[in-house]
Amino acid sequence: MTPKLVKLNVNGRAHHTALAPNTTLLHALRDLGYTDVKSGCEKGDCGACGVIVNGAVVNSCLLLAWLADNQEIITVAGLGAAAKPHPLQQAFVDFGAAQCGFCTPGMIMSAKALLDEYPHPTDEQMREALSGNLCRCTGYTRIFEAVQNAAHEITSD
Amino acid sequence: MNYQILGNNYQRKDGIGKVTGSETYTSDVILPRMWHARVLRSPYAHARIISIDQTAAKALGAVVLTYADVPHLKYNERIVSIPPHLFRDRTVLADKARHVGEAVAAVAAPTEQLAEKALRALKIEWEILPHYTDPADAQSENAEPIHDAVLLNGEMKPIENNVAVARTVNVGNVDEGFEHADFIFEREYLTSRIYHAQMETKSCVCDPASDGSITVYPTTQSIHNTRQLLGEIFNIPLHKVNVKRVAIGGTFGSSIQMNSIIPICVALALKAKHPVKLVSTREEDMYDHVRYQTKLKLKIGVTRDGKITAGHIQALADVGGHNIQAYALLSVLAGWSASLYKFPHLRFEGKAVYTNKTPSCAMQGFGNPQATFAMESLTDEIAHELELDPIEFKLKNYVGLGGTFWGQGPSVQSIIRSDGVPQLLHDGAQKIGWRARPKAGTQTGRYRHGIGMARGFHTSGAGAPKPGEVIDYSGAFIKINEDGTVDVVHAMMDHGGGTLEAIAKIVAEELGVPIENVGISPADTLTTVYDVVTHATRGVYAGGGAAHKAALKVKQQIFEYASRVLELQADSLVIEPDYELRQGVIYCPNFPERRITLGALAKQLQINSWGTMAAVESLRQVNCPPAFVTYFIDLTVDTETGHVTTNRAVIGSDCGTVVNPAMAIGQLEGGLSKGVGYALVEDNQWDAQTGQLTSKGFWIDGKTPAISEAPFNENIITHFSDTYEPSGPFGAKGIGEAATNPCAAAYANALYNALGIRFTELPITAEKILRALNAEENREARVEMREMEAMAVMQAAE
Repeated sequence: MTPKLVKLNVNGRAHHTALAPNTTLLHALRDLGYTDVKSGCEKGDCGACGVIVNGAVVNSCLLLAWLADNQEIITVAGLGAAAKPHPLQQAFVDFGAAQCGFCTPGMIMSAKALLDEYPHPTDEQMREALSGNLCRCTGYTRIFEAVQNAAHEITSD
Repeated sequence: MNYQILGNNYQRKDGIGKVTGSETYTSDVILPRMWHARVLRSPYAHARIISIDQTAAKALGAVVLTYADVPHLKYNERIVSIPPHLFRDRTVLADKARHVGEAVAAVAAPTEQLAEKALRALKIEWEILPHYTDPADAQSENAEPIHDAVLLNGEMKPIENNVAVARTVNVGNVDEGFEHADFIFEREYLTSRIYHAQMETKSCVCDPASDGSITVYPTTQSIHNTRQLLGEIFNIPLHKVNVKRVAIGGTFGSSIQMNSIIPICVALALKAKHPVKLVSTREEDMYDHVRYQTKLKLKIGVTRDGKITAGHIQALADVGGHNIQAYALLSVLAGWSASLYKFPHLRFEGKAVYTNKTPSCAMQGFGNPQATFAMESLTDEIAHELELDPIEFKLKNYVGLGGTFWGQGPSVQSIIRSDGVPQLLHDGAQKIGWRARPKAGTQTGRYRHGIGMARGFHTSGAGAPKPGEVIDYSGAFIKINEDGTVDVVHAMMDHGGGTLEAIAKIVAEELGVPIENVGISPADTLTTVYDVVTHATRGVYAGGGAAHKAALKVKQQIFEYASRVLELQADSLVIEPDYELRQGVIYCPNFPERRITLGALAKQLQINSWGTMAAVESLRQVNCPPAFVTYFIDLTVDTETGHVTTNRAVIGSDCGTVVNPAMAIGQLEGGLSKGVGYALVEDNQWDAQTGQLTSKGFWIDGKTPAISEAPFNENIITHFSDTYEPSGPFGAKGIGEAATNPCAAAYANALYNALGIRFTELPITAEKILRALNAEENREARVEMREMEAMAVMQAAE
């Protein structure tokens, strides 16, 4: 398993890193310090590790890091920070959509990809876009509300 | 009651960290020189280890541990029960595998890859033993013992027929009670073994220091109990064991105990002399905990006019491979039953049996979802048979104001002093349209509509006037900083529901300072006083109670020092938040111009070298008030597919004073989500032949509801009663676990209303609904056939 030098562009920053062929993007990102990407199952069941690669949300546990070579990757920390949160992040706080918070980064990334494609999503589009992200705390109602309100916030700007 | 802070919604203090990904969970802890651990787990359900060849693993540079290398002290991971009731049956690594996934060896190495390689290099020889997935088989006469003996209060107690523990509770004379009954109803119910499915898998980081001390970052619901148990197992004095509070990615009871991976991680770190991180894979996590599967046989006697005369409950619980708290489970199964209805005479006979499966442990409601499913199903049936409105029957028989509530089995009882049940039932019935519900079993056609209800509760803590079989107290340390802000140092865990937010609010309310000025300090066991554990819905009531007690002490000091500065009597002073100054302001209502901010006062104290205003208090609540919940479910069944759609859910909560309104609603919605999963879909099955978990660690095979299945938004209506709990901080009691308890029964009763069929086994899947509908059709067809045959016979006779 010979490592290869891979260039990962994460949140606008380039990382050159030597990775074995079996390293998932999840592990590569977390090893680079992006612990905002959560590991929930490493089987694609739960969506906690969701990141956006070239505009599409993916479970980073199912993508080999070599395949992300030279691609643009956005994690939840890349959307905004405490001083200037993204409207989705702010809405998740305001509407109580984050309880334990472990599903939140992946959930927000799925919502981000959805709103990038459909700025005014229907209920059905929202349900489908978020159906790959498990949450055990909230029952999803607050999450749904937060995404709806963030969509409104983003499009009214 | 008018409050400055309670009852208002604020942005939660840990919110922004969670949404931006900067919150640190155990798996995010990275320490210099840190090694990584992997655990060797049994592929067999029941097997003895003949030998483990470590040569190849060690040659890779890994540290290896087996049973021979770890302390042999038997422990029980949940040290909430007092020693006479603490059944200790496990060791850091097992001497034999008692279920698939049992940890038998562990490795640590400088990288994850190397640790994985070392793990695979371990060669293990097994002697496979007969295994049991069914408690009935495990109890058979010649069954292979899963445990020969366990350690109980310092002595080895032999285990016979794999019965982990049995318990009988008697109230009155049950035979006499049944003699007074006009009707006797008997039913058997079976609940499922669902997985907690918390988002973060169980994890631990241990940092050993050269002076023999350790610092531990675990997933746990109790930092102090984790510390004490580690101290005992590894024989380290407690002042050298520091357990840190880190954010936890959900738990729902799965981390009530010191998780089994924690001492493994500590043992590896002590041997490696490096910090070690151990993160469970999802599959490993699924081998660590499930909700207790319970068979409940209920017998209830009633009079013609609907008064309960007696109850007899027989419970059989499936313990799995280790007994975490089966004694406590049997106690609470008796207690929840005794507290749901007024049984003048009650007999409870419970038995908990070892099997070769994942160990069972508490999960949201601890025994209550099981007991309430059975009891609320049968009382619904009784009401229908007596042609009474189930609500009327419940109001006639439930244990309410002035009644005795068993908060944690027979040894933890207190008198109910606040009761919102009548109001919740009345409001809930109105909101769902209870009177307009269909008559059970009258519908035909593909889609059938039903409305059902159930009620229940959970305890708020496990406190009572007498010391009980479980430990229950909390502590808090509060100090006023030199700018008038407040540090709250509290050992309690917040699982995400907002427990610590509520504690901050209670302190802000009592001290009369803006909520922004109250900080929840990072916590560890060196700097906090003991808190037993965040469980039993005790966070706000008991943890908040301790903080309130400390705040009252601090407030006294504030007034004493302010009286010196303002030259006014301490007793004449008040303190209130001033939102322009962003400070608490102390003044006398008669002389409002003489005032000082808390910040100015604290600074004056420092300048004068008078000292710090601070207090530390421990509190045991001497009550365990029930947090009541009512459920009304409106659903539609597709009789061709068996699919159930939730049209509306109306959930009522009596949590006393509502401290965090938005978060309280969040608790009810979350409770519904987990309740629907329990009622309709979730299950984890074991293959009886192989003893394997059939999902093989695939999470979605357990059917955790996703957003596409969950009822939500405008379909969920939540409401609260106007109650005030006299023993709680500002009238508050619990909410969290109560939120899920009556859900499964409400679904079962709504299904009866729609289809005229009683379901007694969870989960009530689409397949089971179809099977029941087919059986019903066949029965009807058989009746019709018999009638036709009889007609034909009669005609022939004529």
